[in-house]
Amino acid sequence: MGLNNFLIEVDEKQVQWSENMTIASLLETLDNVEFCSVVRLNGKLVSSPKFTETIIMDNSKIQLLPLVAGG
Amino acid sequence: MDQINLKETKAISYEKAEIKKGYTDQSLRINLDAADIIINPIEEQIKNKFIGGKGYDLWLMWNAVSGDTKWDDPENAICISSGPLGGTPGYPGGGKSIVTSISPLTGAPIDSNVGGYFGPYKKFAGFDVIQIDGKAKQDTVIFIDGIENTIQIFEAENLPTDSYELSDVLTHHFDQDKPVNVSVVTAGPGAEHTFFGCLNFSWWDAGRKMVRYKQAGRGGIGTVFADKKVKAIVARYGAISMKANNPADFDALKLVTKTHAKEINELDPKQNRMALVGTTHLVPIMNDHDCLPVHNFKYGSHPESKVIGEEVYEHIFDKGFDGCWRGCAVACAHGVKDFSPFTGPYRGKKVFVDGPEYETVAGCGSNLGIFDAQTILEINFYCDAYGLDTISVGTSLGFVMECFENNLITLDNTGGMDLSFGSRFNALEIIHQMARGEGFGAIVGKGIRQMKKIFAKDFGADAAFMQDIGMESKGLEFSEYITKESLAQQGGYGLALKGPQHDEAWLIFLDMVHNFMPTFEDKAEALHWFPMFRTWFGLCGLCKLPWNDIVPEDNKNTPEPAKVAKHLGWYADFFSAVTGRKSGPDDLIAMSEGVYNFQRVFNLKMGYGTREHDTVPYRAVGPVTVEEYESRQKRYDEQLKEKYNLDISSMSSRDKVAALRQKREEQYEQLKNAVYERRGWTQNGIPTVATVKRLGIDFPEVMEVLKKNGVE
Repeated sequence: MGLNNFLIEVDEKQVQWSENMTIASLLETLDNVEFCSVVRLNGKLVSSPKFTETIIMDNSKIQLLPLVAGG
Repeated sequence: MDQINLKETKAISYEKAEIKKGYTDQSLRINLDAADIIINPIEEQIKNKFIGGKGYDLWLMWNAVSGDTKWDDPENAICISSGPLGGTPGYPGGGKSIVTSISPLTGAPIDSNVGGYFGPYKKFAGFDVIQIDGKAKQDTVIFIDGIENTIQIFEAENLPTDSYELSDVLTHHFDQDKPVNVSVVTAGPGAEHTFFGCLNFSWWDAGRKMVRYKQAGRGGIGTVFADKKVKAIVARYGAISMKANNPADFDALKLVTKTHAKEINELDPKQNRMALVGTTHLVPIMNDHDCLPVHNFKYGSHPESKVIGEEVYEHIFDKGFDGCWRGCAVACAHGVKDFSPFTGPYRGKKVFVDGPEYETVAGCGSNLGIFDAQTILEINFYCDAYGLDTISVGTSLGFVMECFENNLITLDNTGGMDLSFGSRFNALEIIHQMARGEGFGAIVGKGIRQMKKIFAKDFGADAAFMQDIGMESKGLEFSEYITKESLAQQGGYGLALKGPQHDEAWLIFLDMVHNFMPTFEDKAEALHWFPMFRTWFGLCGLCKLPWNDIVPEDNKNTPEPAKVAKHLGWYADFFSAVTGRKSGPDDLIAMSEGVYNFQRVFNLKMGYGTREHDTVPYRAVGPVTVEEYESRQKRYDEQLKEKYNLDISSMSSRDKVAALRQKREEQYEQLKNAVYERRGWTQNGIPTVATVKRLGIDFPEVMEVLKKNGVE
C-alpha cells in the first residue's frame, strides 16, 4: 500500500496522514498557524484545548478557522 | 382587534435634499412637546469632524442635553442615524442604524448599532440623522414618507401593545401594496416598565412575505422611547440602487462591493458558516475555551452546552435568505418559524422568532443554567415582542439566581418563585412580569445596579458580595463573555465608553489563547487601536462582522492578522468611493479618534467619564468564591506559584482567593494607567487639552467641561 492512500484534506489541500495524528501534531507541521484556535474536523468544531487529545482519522477533512474575533 | 386609529396632529411637506456622496447634509428634529418638525442643515465643519452615524448622534445629543439632564427629562433626545456608507445595497453589512440617548441604566450617552432598513430609508428620505426630543401627551406615531416627501405626527389609539404585532400592522398600514417600502421602529410594554427596553427595527422579508426585526438592544433606549409616548417611527422609501448614495466614484464602489461580497460568498461556508448558523457557532467555541458564561459568569463551560449551540440551531433555523440589509452576503439574521410558545399571551399560537444570536443563547441560556433550545427561543421571542434587551435580561436574571441560591433573596422577596439556576418557567414568568410592570419582575427590570441597592436596603442582602457578583459596570449589564483569564478584555469591557459591551474590543483570544499582547503596553495598544477601528463602523452605518468574522485565506500570512489588513484597505476604498474623501486605513482610525474622545468628554459632562467609573466587578477579574476558585484550582494555584512567586503550601483556598484577588486587582489598575497614557488621557481618565486639540474637538464647550474637571 503506497503512502498516497493515507491522506487527509486540510483547507482543501491534501496532506499525508499518519497513525495517531492529532490536531496539535498536524498544526506543528503547518506554517502560520499560531492564531489557529478552532478547526472544523469533518464538519465538527474542535477548539484548541482539545487539539492534543483529538485524533484525526484517515480521509478526514479539516478546515482551519480564522482567528476568533468575537461577536 | 379594533381598527387602529391614527389622528394626524401635524404634517409638513418638504423638498427632499439631493444626496451627494453619501450625505443629505440635513437633520430632522421632531419635538414632541410642541409637535414641531424642524429641518436643519448640517455644516461642513460638523461633517468633517463627526463623519456621520454615531458621530452625528452624539453631536446633536451634546447640544440637546445639559450636564444635569436625566434620562426621563424632556430634553433627553433619541437620535437615529445611518452614515455616509449606509444604504449601499449588496455591500455586506451595509445598512445599519446607530441609535443614541441618555441611558436610564447609566445616566450617560448610550449607543446601539442595529440592522433593519430604517436608517437607510430615513436617509434616502432626506435626513442623515433624526432627533426626537420632548414628550408627547398621547401615544404617538411619526411617519417619514420619502416617497411623498411628507412628515406626519399622529395621535394613536387601538395599536397592538407588542412590537411583534405592531411592526406588522404599521408596515401594512403605511404601504399595503409594497410593504418592502416600510421600516418601523417600535418598543413594547417591557420598555415601558423596565430600564432596559430595546428598540426593534423592522424590514420586510420578501421571501417569507413577513415583517422581521433586529434590536437596538443596549442601554434602555426603548425605555426612553416609551417614556416619550412614541409608539413607532416609520420610514417609507422606494427602490434603492447602488447609485442611491450618489457616490463620488461609482465604478470604484461597484468594484469594492462586488469584491467583498464575492469573498464572503466563497469563504463563509468554509469558515464560520454564519449564513447557516448566525453567531451560534460561538457557543461551543466559547464553551471549550472556558469563556461561555454559566451560572452568572461563575463558570465558563458546561457539558450541556452542546444542546444550545450551532449543532442544534442549524437544524431549527428556517432556511432562506436572512440578511438584515438588502443583499448582505453575511446574512446571519436567522429565525425560527412556527414556534409555539408554552407561556404568555402567545401561548399555543404559531409565531416567527427572530433569533437567537450567540448573546441571547449565552445570556438567557447557559448563564441561567437553562440548557434548552426551546426555552431560549421563547425567551428570545418575548424579549423582542416586549421590547426587552436580551443581554440585560440574561445578565440580570443570572445575578438574581445567584442571589437566590445564596439566600440573599428568598421566596418572600420573589413572590414565591424559586429562582434557582435552571428555573426556566419562573425565568419566563419574570419576563412576563417585566412586561406588565408587576411583581418581582418590576424590580429585576430596574437592572443590576438598582437591584443591588434594593436588595441591600429592603432585603438586607450582603452589599459587598453583590458588588462582586453583579455583572454591571457604569450601570450597564455585561455582554456574554467570561473575561477572568484575559486582562485585556477586562479592559475591553471596563474601559468601554458606554459600559461593558464587546463592540469596542474583543481581545479574549488574542490575549488569553495566543498571548499576543504580553505587556501592559501591548494591551494598551490593542485597547487603543481596536476601539478606534470598531467605532468607525458606527460612524459610517456599517456592521463590523464582514471585517473580521470572515477573513481572506491568506490573512494568516500577514504581519498583523487580527487587523485583517486586506479588509481595512477595502473599507478605505469603500469610504473613498462614496464620499470622495481619499482615505487610507490610518485615516479611518483618525476619524474615529475624534468622535471617541468626544464621547468620553460627553460622559464627563454627564458626571461620569473618570477613572472611578472604569471599574468592573471582581467576578469579571477572578474567582469571587472558594467554590469558584476550586473549580479551576490547578490553573489558579500555578499562577500564584509561578507568576506571582508565592508559597501557597500552607494557604487555605480562602487565603488563595484573597491573594489572587490582590494581584489581579493591581493588574487591572496598571492596565488603566497604560491605556490612559496610550489614549492621551490623564491618569484620571480624562482626555488632555493636547489630545482634544490634536483631534480638533477643542470646542469651547468641550474645553469648559475639561476645565471644570481640573484639566486645562
